[in-house]
Amino acid sequence: MIDTIRTKARELLESGQVSCFVGYEKGTRGKTRPAFIYEPEDVDRLVWDESCTHNLVVYLQQFQRPLKRGEQPPHVGILVKPCDSRSLNILLHEEQVARDRTYVVGLTCEGVGANGQLEERCKRCSERVPVVSDVVLGETAESLGEEHYADVAELEAMSPVERLAFWTQEFDRCIRCYACRQACPACYCFECVAEHLDPPWVSIAIGPVQKQFFHVMRAYHLAGRCSGCNACEEACPMDIPLSLLNLKIAKEVEALFGYRTGQDAETVPPLATFEKEEELPL
Amino acid sequence: MRDERRTMKTTTRDGLAAWLDGLSERMTLIAPKAVGEQTLYRPVTSSSEIVFGFTKADLPAKEYFLPSTHVLFMVEREEGRVKVNEPAAEEARVLFGMRPCDARALRVLDALFLEEEPVDPYYAERREKTTLIGLACRQMDTSCFCTSLGVAPNEAGDVDLMLTEVTDGPETAYAVQAVTDKGRAILGGLPLTEVELALPEPAVGELVPIPEPEAWPQHFGDTFWERLGDRCLSCRLCTYVCPTCRCFDVRDNESPSKEIKRLRAWDSCMAENYRRIAGGHNPRPAKAERLRNRFYCKFCYYPQDFGPVACVGCGRCIDQCPVNVDIVEVLEGVAELSRRSL
Repeated sequence: MIDTIRTKARELLESGQVSCFVGYEKGTRGKTRPAFIYEPEDVDRLVWDESCTHNLVVYLQQFQRPLKRGEQPPHVGILVKPCDSRSLNILLHEEQVARDRTYVVGLTCEGVGANGQLEERCKRCSERVPVVSDVVLGETAESLGEEHYADVAELEAMSPVERLAFWTQEFDRCIRCYACRQACPACYCFECVAEHLDPPWVSIAIGPVQKQFFHVMRAYHLAGRCSGCNACEEACPMDIPLSLLNLKIAKEVEALFGYRTGQDAETVPPLATFEKEEELPL
Repeated sequence: MRDERRTMKTTTRDGLAAWLDGLSERMTLIAPKAVGEQTLYRPVTSSSEIVFGFTKADLPAKEYFLPSTHVLFMVEREEGRVKVNEPAAEEARVLFGMRPCDARALRVLDALFLEEEPVDPYYAERREKTTLIGLACRQMDTSCFCTSLGVAPNEAGDVDLMLTEVTDGPETAYAVQAVTDKGRAILGGLPLTEVELALPEPAVGELVPIPEPEAWPQHFGDTFWERLGDRCLSCRLCTYVCPTCRCFDVRDNESPSKEIKRLRAWDSCMAENYRRIAGGHNPRPAKAERLRNRFYCKFCYYPQDFGPVACVGCGRCIDQCPVNVDIVEVLEGVAELSRRSL
């Protein structure tokens, strides 16, 4: 598979179809990291294995502006896994990414995870093929699971008091480093309300109130927009189970509106619109 | 350097635990504690809460000297008059389990907050009222590179009292060295035995090149930084887990009770809004420029302005960066740039 990825990347760079190809490479200390390939001779740096956990769609933002003043924004090639492709659809729908300047290399996926351990979400994932791409590489694999929302069962079994205690304890560790937000393709606001200083909607204090506000606010802004890629949780230095919160909201959105994030770029996400006299199954 | 056999005072794990329990009754005891999957410096009320076998805490002890949030004073309006209230004075504290890198990091912060006028009174008070009990590392973790920055894993010079695990014998024992008067002052009650021994030597890793401050300016415009910045997420993680990053912001907060609090809280040069000024101009608009600044601050500006290099090789940024921005790789990269430009 890696050979076909490298061949494709080389072809795109050599033909000038893209000026940069975003994929994965081996970093230091056995870690896998995002790679930015500008020259065809560098494509051999690219790798693809189960350690390729990052959602690279987050990097498309930086290519929407010219790399040099006075130039046009660049054309860019990018690797997407099925879950990543759904966050790309959200960005396409929200007109944050120029589709005609983005060459999407979709990868069929059998799950990813650190240290050879599949992530829990991958064990339950039924999507093996990206939903948006210019080319799909890899064999169509069989889906492993069906039950996307099994992980929230434990959370739902808690009483509201227990749930509040659980999240208070988890968010208490937060250091407001915003790694979760920065790793998230759907968090692209030019200025986050949590960081706005004039007026300061949220105090600069790194206290319990601000931490809870930030996480709950972010989770609500992601309602119907989170693809469940787990980038936030992986980025978190304090091991806060952020995906669990997003998954719970995704479950509610699906139950209420029959909508799953980013299956295509055309369907208007439910929280981005409303209908007069709208009836909700509440 | 090989330690020579000499007469040293040692204590047992049980003796140490009982003494820490006694200390915790007289003053606030802060020690490494298991919180979820992590080890963090937290106030403890009993030695049973302390994690003794840790490599390094997931966050440094910086927050006890430069708190992530600190109320400088409160202002309230009372019967048409304005009243300024100051928060209660800090209490005496003992910080147990300081690793030598984290202790050296306080020396680095001292250079700015204590050794330059004006002295930061809040930092000075916390430093003054805290007694540091060091715990020598037996080996360096895979991401550690303290020795490259002149810190030995068993360095005793930056703490008040130094403990070194001595492996001889069936039970864990610690060699105890009182380094300062502050350290000697809290020693009472610690059961000590005199033993003839040589301190075990910690296993050390390879040295990382640390380019001199003068070597950095010529590489400022190199594309090296743009390529490194490509994958940076521009979050604040590296600066907040760093024991020597020390930027803060000061703001006034109005609370519902109409009391105004003047707060000082951590800030980060990695944040997009950090350098933005009135009128909206941002001298460091690109994330690669902000990332470059972090390394220049540590290895060029800070040593030129205040003396020490602002890195102690604790390796937390290496462990935690979600996209593998590895400070050792950066240092090697800058050293390579210097070699090529010779």
